[in-house]
Amino acid sequence: MHKKLALIGLGLAVPTAVLAHHGWGGYDAAHPITVAGPIETLKYENPHALITVKAPDKVWTVTLAPTSRMQSRGAPPEFVAVGKVVSAYGYASTVDKDEMRAERITIDGKTVELR
Amino acid sequence: MLHDAPQFLVALEQSALASAIRQSSWAYMTANVGHILALMVFVSAVVVMDARLLGAFAAAPPASVVRPARRLAALGLLLMAATGSMLFAAEATHVAGNPVFQVKAALIVLGILNALLVGRLLREALDEAHAFEPLPTAAKACAMLSLTIWFATAACGRLIAYF
Repeated sequence: MHKKLALIGLGLAVPTAVLAHHGWGGYDAAHPITVAGPIETLKYENPHALITVKAPDKVWTVTLAPTSRMQSRGAPPEFVAVGKVVSAYGYASTVDKDEMRAERITIDGKTVELR
Repeated sequence: MLHDAPQFLVALEQSALASAIRQSSWAYMTANVGHILALMVFVSAVVVMDARLLGAFAAAPPASVVRPARRLAALGLLLMAATGSMLFAAEATHVAGNPVFQVKAALIVLGILNALLVGRLLREALDEAHAFEPLPTAAKACAMLSLTIWFATAACGRLIAYF
């Protein structure tokens, strides 16, 4: 019984010992923003594709959509390739000040809805 | 993203397997769908098992319901662990630091401990009990605890995306 209690204690202690870090935090949908600039990096990966964009104010991490949805909406990796100039309309993270989630992106005059 | 996370989580997230899961067009999606299907198997078995411990299906001898349901629940849990590990590995540093995931992980430990406890405490009572015969209060308490823990675990699972 003591062993079991100790195990329960361990189970509770270990996860909280992992340094707290946000995951999918909230996004400020009340104040949409547009981040525009050249794409610096691309991670065309699941669960969400990510680009970093060199905007005039700072480098933003822009969260896009799952890769299967990107593909079906007409945004394959070539569309969001590094070096292209993107305009991303979406919402800033309330947790990570350099991250935003894109509702839609426009590249080369073509707009793709991501939601 | 990767900074200030424990080294083993960084290593897991950067492993070839985790990269493959992220880069595949189907792996993450399949693990995600599989996790939900496994949850259906697991939780249906758990509910049947706990309902019998609480006194439902009284015409059936307890062991005749609880034992097969327990095996099915174990299979469901195994499938959940397999698919869940894939989802976790893909985003290990993010997910591990998520407070809701931490609560979920603790609940899973408690749920498994509770299940093991039921197996040990109730083995004889279960074998001896006949149809329509009330089970010990401890059995009912464990069943209520089990339902509470596993429903809370499922709720946390869904809530990870929102915190």
